[in-house]
Amino acid sequence: MGWLGNLLGGSAGSGAPSDAAAARSAEWEQALQSRTLPSFVEARLEAAASGRTPWLSTMTPIELAMVRRHGIRPVAMVSGTCWYHYGYSWTRGHAAGWHAALDRLRAEALAAGAHAVVDVKLRTIDLDVGDSMDFTVIGTAVRIEGLAKPTVPVIATVPALEFVRLLRSGIVPTGIAIGAQYDILSPAVDLTGSGLFRGWRNQPLTELGQFWESIRRFALAELKDDARRQGNGVLAHTHFGQLFKIERDKQPPQFLGRHIVVGTVVHDRPSAANAPIEISTVVDMRDDESPLLSPRPHGHNAYPVDDEEDGPI
Amino acid sequence: MSITNEIPPHAIERLRGLRNEGHPGGIFTSDFSVNEFLLVRKAGFEPVGLCVGTCVYHVGIQYGSWGKNQELEVLSQAMYHARELAMTRMREEAREMGADGIVGVQLTVKRLEWSTEVLEFIAIGTGVVHAEGHTGFKGPNGQPFTSDLSGQDFWTLLHAGYRPLEMVMGSCVYHVAHQGFFRSMGNVGKNTELTNFSQALYDAREIAMERMQHEAIEAGAEGVVGVDLHEGSHAWQAHVIEFFAVGTAVKPISTEQDASAIPDPQLVLSVNN
Repeated sequence: MGWLGNLLGGSAGSGAPSDAAAARSAEWEQALQSRTLPSFVEARLEAAASGRTPWLSTMTPIELAMVRRHGIRPVAMVSGTCWYHYGYSWTRGHAAGWHAALDRLRAEALAAGAHAVVDVKLRTIDLDVGDSMDFTVIGTAVRIEGLAKPTVPVIATVPALEFVRLLRSGIVPTGIAIGAQYDILSPAVDLTGSGLFRGWRNQPLTELGQFWESIRRFALAELKDDARRQGNGVLAHTHFGQLFKIERDKQPPQFLGRHIVVGTVVHDRPSAANAPIEISTVVDMRDDESPLLSPRPHGHNAYPVDDEEDGPI
Repeated sequence: MSITNEIPPHAIERLRGLRNEGHPGGIFTSDFSVNEFLLVRKAGFEPVGLCVGTCVYHVGIQYGSWGKNQELEVLSQAMYHARELAMTRMREEAREMGADGIVGVQLTVKRLEWSTEVLEFIAIGTGVVHAEGHTGFKGPNGQPFTSDLSGQDFWTLLHAGYRPLEMVMGSCVYHVAHQGFFRSMGNVGKNTELTNFSQALYDAREIAMERMQHEAIEAGAEGVVGVDLHEGSHAWQAHVIEFFAVGTAVKPISTEQDASAIPDPQLVLSVNN
């Protein structure tokens, strides 16, 4: 409770930030501009890296046991935040926001001497400020024993348990890839309206369908390009897409489609594909919801849904 | 904080009756599921009773300047102090029943209907004792340890060679500056970072994390597992957000266990559907 004492004895209640707070704020400003870290963040991460202070980790006990078993140790919790305003494009803004946040996360991980950051979550806080959003990535920095000092830490959205399982199978998670695309369709006629014939017939809306498909394809192609720079595969996608109809005055409505895909890039060595993994099959005798069958919560809260499907086909 | 140490006589009476000060044969209460109960026993511990601590707290008022990023210390302090009081009372109850520690602690905040300034903080968990009377599992200063780990996680933690010390937390209530009209007009139609906001969130999270770490240092921990960092706004003015970090500080049981001694889990595939 040491810091509470500081608070009680400090500027509490005055409402005005103290000199220390002002100095802190100036350091943040400087750090964000010069793409570095404030000295106090660097000091915290260095202390954690050298083992002088306790490590902080999002890992559960079983994850802790597993990573220790494989010579991996948690070092610190690291994060990256970028509040991005997307006036010109929502989609490009989202891609830019995530990339900026990831760069900052990487900088913190490097300061902590970490080889990797696992369990990275895409988060946002619930505060509505115009056309802008908070892009936050947060995860646990880890060090792998016996490896040289890292130059570029690996970023993985998978939790520690899955990280270890991937490594054991010879697959190395290498980073995060992002693909995003938006487009506007301005058709000459009303594509969904109840025209004279349209209302009664079963028919595919070809123009709209092609438009939406091209957006998805483009986003996935960008994801692939981003992934190619880092590895040879992408796992654990989080994807989010929206299709809007924009009514216009005296003209047929426009359509705006946007799609964003985020995933963990892996480097899979074909030679490792034969690594023996022993799996036993079990029949779970429970009648109610079984922990073996129910999906684990993924912890990202940046997008309201993980996929757009409304239900089984 | 002298009030925290006073437990009404009838409560002490109840605690004594529960389990004759930790000896088998009495009745215990707990919110364990059957699996949790079995695993806690397997880990060498016996539940003694449910420990509860509550604190109804009047949170003072502090407003942030409209255009300024700043911590609202009065609120940070209130949120932390109230949680600490609830936790201390719960721990006090555990100590009275002779528990070595409390597992499965749930810490909740509830807003009361009739006021926006009064919050109720509740800490609840199951007090446990070591079945063979081993005293080495106590938390800092011989107090019962506290942990938000479930019975399953408690078993796993001990098997990984660690023991829980105490729940550590850090809180920071922060006012995120509003954007001036001219500034926001300047951003219309542009894709750009709003560094002012980035900075506010960064700073608030950093403060919450530093405070939690400070607690971990004071507890003599080797590390903190299961850290959960979340944001909440308890009906405060817009742009006021609490960043709250909480986790369980842990320490190696004696000397750190050799990594090869940790068993590999077996992979199973459920073939029900």
